[in-house]
Amino acid sequence: MKRSYYGVIFLSLVLLACIVFTQQVVNAFFYEQYVKVLVFAVLNILMFPLAFWIYRKERNVD
Amino acid sequence: MIEDNKDQKNRKPAVPYDEDNYTHNIRKDNERKLDRRSFMKMMVGAAGVFAVSTLPWGAIAAKHLAAGDKRTYPKNKITALSDIPVGEAVEFAYPGEHDSALLVRLEEGTFKAYQNACTHLKCPVFWSKEEGELVCPCHHGLFDVHTGKPVAGPPKRPLPEIELAVERGTVYATGVKRYEA
Repeated sequence: MKRSYYGVIFLSLVLLACIVFTQQVVNAFFYEQYVKVLVFAVLNILMFPLAFWIYRKERNVD
Repeated sequence: MIEDNKDQKNRKPAVPYDEDNYTHNIRKDNERKLDRRSFMKMMVGAAGVFAVSTLPWGAIAAKHLAAGDKRTYPKNKITALSDIPVGEAVEFAYPGEHDSALLVRLEEGTFKAYQNACTHLKCPVFWSKEEGELVCPCHHGLFDVHTGKPVAGPPKRPLPEIELAVERGTVYATGVKRYEA
């Protein structure tokens, strides 16, 4: 059973980053730091293409 | 598929098996539904959901930034000076009719007003004259009446302070202080 789990690990890290960024967005919004909100919102949106890229790269690795 | 199964039944299994992924014994439908690849797909989908969920926050933040970050608040009458003795408190709503707030007269000319939804779970905070502190009855959170900062209990964030003006024997609310902590 040889199998690469890098994709799973990296995607888990990406999802963790998503959770952290979302939390930061909500917090910054509450404290009315709108620039910080935008920064983390953009980071969060960038996580999706990154996740998709990791998936594309890792899906056929056995 | 059925043909395959029959073949597999009749065939004497080779030992060791010709494959190295040990899936020859999986026959049930959907038994491998959540395999590695599906799991990765699910993670990508979740990342997408998170990305979409931040869009409204980002949009509202961008709107606030574009508007110059200057919010205007109405000037509302809270109470007449004669109606609030020293050491007492008056409840009012500011800036919206559902944003309940609390005005405390600490000394003759010293007033403090905060939006009194507890920063823990939004219970209404009241003024305890005996303890000289703002108290949240739900989980016994205490706030410093001079700064609005939490001093005990579960709340970790200060109460938003309301700017006041006293003119001709009447206390007015003129704005909400920028929330920084």
